Amino acid sequence: MLRYVVRRLLLIIPTMFFVALITFTLAHLAPGSPFDRNATRPMSQETIDRINRYYGVDKPIPEQFVIYMGNVLKGDLGLSFTRQRPVVDIIGQGIGATFQLGIGALVFALAFSIPLGIVSALKQNTIVDYLSMLVATIGTTIPGFVLAIFLIYIFGVSLRLLPFVGWGTWQHMVMPMFVLGLGAGGFLTRITRASMLEAIRQDYVRTARSKGLHERAVIVGHALKNALIPVATIIGPATAGLITGSFIIETLFNVPGMGRLYVTSILARDYPIIMGTTLLYAFLITIANLTVDIMYGVLDPRIKVR
Amino acid sequence: MAAAVTAQDKRVAELNVISRKQRSLWGDAFYRLIRNRAALVGLFVIAFAALLAIFAPLISPYDPLEQHGKDGLMEPIWTQAFGSKFTNPAYVFGTDTLGRDNLSRLIYSSRVSLIIGFVPVSIVVVIGLTVGMLAGYVGGVVDDFLMRVTDVVYAFPDLLFVIIIVATLRGTALGDAYDGLLVIFVGIAVVNWVGVARLVRGQVLSVKNREFVEAARAIGAGPGRIMRTHVFPNILAPVIVTVAFAIPGAMLTESVLSFLGIGIRPPTPTWGVMINEGFIVFSTTPWPVLLPSFCISIVLLAFTFVGDGLRDALDPRSKM
Repeated sequence: MLRYVVRRLLLIIPTMFFVALITFTLAHLAPGSPFDRNATRPMSQETIDRINRYYGVDKPIPEQFVIYMGNVLKGDLGLSFTRQRPVVDIIGQGIGATFQLGIGALVFALAFSIPLGIVSALKQNTIVDYLSMLVATIGTTIPGFVLAIFLIYIFGVSLRLLPFVGWGTWQHMVMPMFVLGLGAGGFLTRITRASMLEAIRQDYVRTARSKGLHERAVIVGHALKNALIPVATIIGPATAGLITGSFIIETLFNVPGMGRLYVTSILARDYPIIMGTTLLYAFLITIANLTVDIMYGVLDPRIKVR
Repeated sequence: MAAAVTAQDKRVAELNVISRKQRSLWGDAFYRLIRNRAALVGLFVIAFAALLAIFAPLISPYDPLEQHGKDGLMEPIWTQAFGSKFTNPAYVFGTDTLGRDNLSRLIYSSRVSLIIGFVPVSIVVVIGLTVGMLAGYVGGVVDDFLMRVTDVVYAFPDLLFVIIIVATLRGTALGDAYDGLLVIFVGIAVVNWVGVARLVRGQVLSVKNREFVEAARAIGAGPGRIMRTHVFPNILAPVIVTVAFAIPGAMLTESVLSFLGIGIRPPTPTWGVMINEGFIVFSTTPWPVLLPSFCISIVLLAFTFVGDGLRDALDPRSKM
């Protein structure tokens, strides 16, 4: 087990290296220097050279990459092209709102998806089951930004119940968290339902019933405990998905988080920020994916990891 | 009521007949698929969207790019019932900021969506099948390569890899080809082939040591023949299901990119572009945004229903 974990942890290093290499290469494939296109007045060559030197983009690209990676290891992600501040600081400012949004969405998703999944498994092929599956399908299929548009129209524009620009008060958080949580929740509902359906057909559940246990004790104590294993293992990646996948919702609701920062940086071609955020996102996801495999081994002794 | 009873009796009788007409495995699956009501509705919606896309020039009341300067931001005619004064019977679904007809733009948008749904996914399937079968059957270098590429691609958040590819290539010849369509193809293909290849690899691994493959090998079939006639048909079902879900995934990618303003270049109409362009007037005139949002939702739901139906039809044991 320990050897497996160590090996998987070591594999993160080449993965992160290639993520950095690919993003870096793509960023430098883009035509021109980042500074010669957004100026309305053409700058003199001298000025451009000086700016390029200041940001270190005058050197050959392989050399820039080596320097960049060296700095990353020291915790320095470089200077933003458009905001003239260290990328670490800028990301640090956005990370709070993004985590708030992500955790809120996760709590909401778990709160509705697990009961819904259990009920629809216990009442399989009834109207309750069909309705919850419909909710789950809508949650996973309709894109977050489209759902957000409908909600903004109903609760923001027509009824004027909730604000839809900005962040800070709980009223601001309701719609973004709901939209973000609904997608993850739909997925979790399906998983809960599937694994609950499997659990209630197992021999140990039949045994529990045949020894005369109360139905509630059978479901909660025996079936549910095992049915929630796949759900528990997926919570890590689900959280990572919510945190890294909130960029459209953040842009739409003007939430000052990492996601909106990412989108504005993409549009402004601010590559140091794009690089820094991508690396952070990739790290979160890689760790989350690793937790699934480890959690499975811990929670379900039947599974042997190699 | 009586008709329903006889129909059911007929079905029971049909099931009881031992020597019923033979159906192939795929025929059986097709039968199960169209017996699924949600999937059937989905198929009809997709067929309808395809007809709109093909006959767009004949059906559309206007040219989707034609600007009717005086008639900007007309509301759909049904809003008249709720007291809207800004309607014009000439524009059933209203107009956008520039006075372009919403209905015509919605119809033309289905073209881009369907192209995005099918073209890159076809590329993904071809690459994914080739690499996956090689990795699964031959193993070795191809397999190692595939596993490492997967690690890297899976480390990127959903969609963000496509966004990086598309955004950085803007302004290059590739990025601007066909109003930005080509680079979206490339982005979707680069990111998604890995998933198909991984799936195919796993399937090949589980099939290649089964008895029927062994039997084929024993009577002297070469690797090419084994792959083509024995392995391939047996791994097809999960690949079809994956593809069915990849199509709406690709459409979603386009609409997100266009909504963010880095996808298809305006004025070419797509639902994502319409949402992007209409967003500035959303709080006063929501229709240029609401209508394409409805279209995206309905088409994506249709594809998901078909995908769910296909999964149930091809693998009756699955429970998801």
